[in-house]
Amino acid sequence: MEDKKLTPQESVALIAEMIESSKQRVAMPDLRISLMWALLTIITAAIVLAGTLIRYSPWINLVWFAIPVIGIPVNLIMAKKSGIVKGVKTAIDTISDGIWKTVGFIAIALTVVCLIFNLLGYPAAWLAMFYYAFIVVGFGAAMQGIVLKENSYVFGGLFSVIAGFTVVALNLCMIPLLIVWVLPLYMLCFMLMFIVPAFIIRKKLNATKL
Amino acid sequence: MKELNPLLHSQLRLAVMSILMSVEEADFVYLREKTESTAGNLSVQLDKLSAAGYIKVEKGFVGKKTRTVCQITEQGRRAFEEYVDALKHYINLK
Repeated sequence: MEDKKLTPQESVALIAEMIESSKQRVAMPDLRISLMWALLTIITAAIVLAGTLIRYSPWINLVWFAIPVIGIPVNLIMAKKSGIVKGVKTAIDTISDGIWKTVGFIAIALTVVCLIFNLLGYPAAWLAMFYYAFIVVGFGAAMQGIVLKENSYVFGGLFSVIAGFTVVALNLCMIPLLIVWVLPLYMLCFMLMFIVPAFIIRKKLNATKL
Repeated sequence: MKELNPLLHSQLRLAVMSILMSVEEADFVYLREKTESTAGNLSVQLDKLSAAGYIKVEKGFVGKKTRTVCQITEQGRRAFEEYVDALKHYINLK
């Protein structure tokens, strides 16, 4: 492209072409971050499940801290790299960042609340983190789906929110939450919320490249 | 008749402004790829748009490499909208 003068028609065509070329809704680097969180969460849950079934010890629950301890620094590195790779920030990026920063902030605040309860002698309060993962993360995924116009995200998010409220209801009804089905349900939710949509979007992106 | 803004009525500058109108910010490499321009030419045109107050150019570092990020200003947004209005007028006349 050069610094040449244009006719009005050429100007209109150029504006339309440039707007169209910068319209891509999502790029793979963004999906890698959500995939990382989903895989980290699923692997952690699988370790806790296996550890509990093999030989239960309350210490096994410390494994849950692997999620923020590994996830936050890796997220920061990946987010920085993603911005450089894409070279562009759209309104959708800003909205998505806002959604996940809010979800992340709630996680940090809730961890502090649970820690205080734990120190006061109520370790059962950590169950709130479980509800958070189902409901708040699920709602975040559904919002992300609406922003990206990707129904698989919306479906995964809604599935997780409904699963979360079902778990809350069971708990309120004093029906025991057995680890053998609660943790697999938790893993299934993260798979439906992030892994399935990421594969669907990747497939769509590859199809548009062809 | 409303005159077409000469600063925007050039292929490369108009392409840059069109991209920046549809995104929140874009870096130099992205703009160069999308406009298929040379680094030297793009740099000159960005300076012109920046001098007119149409875009904000921020130079920073990512590791050891420099990274130039461009954003449209409110003044640039208004100028672009006026340019598009003027274009509509010209096209309707023809």
